[in-house]
Amino acid sequence: MATLRFNSLTGTLEKNPTSSFSSNPRLSWAYFQCNNKGERRASRMTVKAMGAAKYKGTQMREKKLTEMIEKKVTEAKQVCEGDETSDECKVAWDEVEEVSQAKADLRLRLEIEKKDPLESFCEENPETEECKIYED
Amino acid sequence: MSVCSAYTTQSLNSTCSISTPAKTHLGFHQKQVVFYRRSSKRGGSGSGSGPCVITCSAGDSQTVVIGLAADSGCGKSTFMRRLTSVFGGAAEPPKGGNPDSNTLISDMTTVICLDDYHSLDRTGRKEKGVTALDPRANDFDLMYEQVKAIKSGVAVDKPIYNHVTGLLDPPELIKPPKILVIEGLHPMFDERVRDLLDFSIYLDISNEVKFAWKIQRDMAERGHSLESIRASIEARKPDFDAYIDPQKKYADAVIEVLPTQLVPDDNEGKVLRVRLIMKEGVKHFSPVYLFDEGSTISWIPCGRKLTCSYPGIKFHYGPDTYFGNEVSILEMDGQFDRLDELIYVESHLSNISTKFYGEVTQQMLKHADFPGSNNGTGLFQTIVGLKIRDLYEQITSGKTAAPLEATKA
Repeated sequence: MATLRFNSLTGTLEKNPTSSFSSNPRLSWAYFQCNNKGERRASRMTVKAMGAAKYKGTQMREKKLTEMIEKKVTEAKQVCEGDETSDECKVAWDEVEEVSQAKADLRLRLEIEKKDPLESFCEENPETEECKIYED
Repeated sequence: MSVCSAYTTQSLNSTCSISTPAKTHLGFHQKQVVFYRRSSKRGGSGSGSGPCVITCSAGDSQTVVIGLAADSGCGKSTFMRRLTSVFGGAAEPPKGGNPDSNTLISDMTTVICLDDYHSLDRTGRKEKGVTALDPRANDFDLMYEQVKAIKSGVAVDKPIYNHVTGLLDPPELIKPPKILVIEGLHPMFDERVRDLLDFSIYLDISNEVKFAWKIQRDMAERGHSLESIRASIEARKPDFDAYIDPQKKYADAVIEVLPTQLVPDDNEGKVLRVRLIMKEGVKHFSPVYLFDEGSTISWIPCGRKLTCSYPGIKFHYGPDTYFGNEVSILEMDGQFDRLDELIYVESHLSNISTKFYGEVTQQMLKHADFPGSNNGTGLFQTIVGLKIRDLYEQITSGKTAAPLEATKA
């Protein structure tokens, strides 16, 4: 009979209802899914906390991206008031998409890689402003 | 046993001379020794600094190039992580370089983000009134030249597009890997770049699912609301339909993600119906099938031998045509809840190019925390990763040991 070989894996795919990402307790994205009876637990809580940010540079990037999202959404709404099909309107919402995705990428990276993206940069350049340790 | 061949990114007769370098830079990486010399730029050549590169290779450095069209950011997507994981090792950004680099490097693969070939930065696009989706915002000549160079074993200085600042940063060096993945909005847009691809994939997310995913992505952000998320998708749609969507007819494999048909009115995008559309007749690629190749099969694995939880799993397989091409489509609707469901399904699929029984399941479990790990997106992404490994091994075992020919810039 064929054998299954698994190396350091979780034994089951059972989705626990607390987190669908890693088990780092500091991380966000707690949400509740359908339980086995098909009942839908409607509450979706997203607690926004970026887990593994360690360096000031990463914290600054997070903050900057958050501010940019807010600012660019406001801009886009203003620009599009006149003409929703104008080029300016398209470009404004495209910028919103770009920074939203950049923020999401940063968040995903912190969750999945579980280390600060500046880690290797800061090894080489520990004295820069960006590489000061960020106190939570 | 190594062979040293000299390549220049510009023609040898112009400004580059190897014999008396003014300045050299030595870079060692595995089997390659790269020297380069900054020579004066030929006007508008677009190859960065126009270095002369002497590459010593072990004789097998033909790079396999994979294209992935996706609208979901670059190089950090779960698809890329699954793909690099199939080859072993984790993909990480280049060490010590620009921290906002979009590139990911692992032992075997390098993933570059095609946003790096933007010809207009954020300000430039605003001035010209073009979105990032518009071909006018991208330098396809440079993309073609550099992908061609990497494919033939020449390192390049690739620009970096910084998504945080919206500017084009100084370039980073990309050394030819065994497998190069180019990911972004336009990998198949330019015909010359298309011809360089050994395999291409298009990730086709339906509008409903896209909306659901973007809600999950953005609702926690202070600036966003349901309306802003919807408005953003709607505003980008015309350019998306005009420039990005048409690429799917060129793809060797399309992963189409749709809302489930198993749960009425599921609009959270959790349960998904995923279709793997595989082109027939592609070199080194044999489509996955269920039970009997070329026939049409409907399969619900849940029953006496396998108990599934709601809403269950449903498979479909069959031949079809897609934009005029003969294809085979494997479709999964539903979710995996337990390990034994996954292994049961795996054991009934054929042509999945695994090296041992249970390899798909093992790969899925390894990344159980990635999005899509319990449905067709994770399953088909993993399977495509294995097919790419198979394609890579076929291509490399088919090569002779002859040294590479010098490329013309």
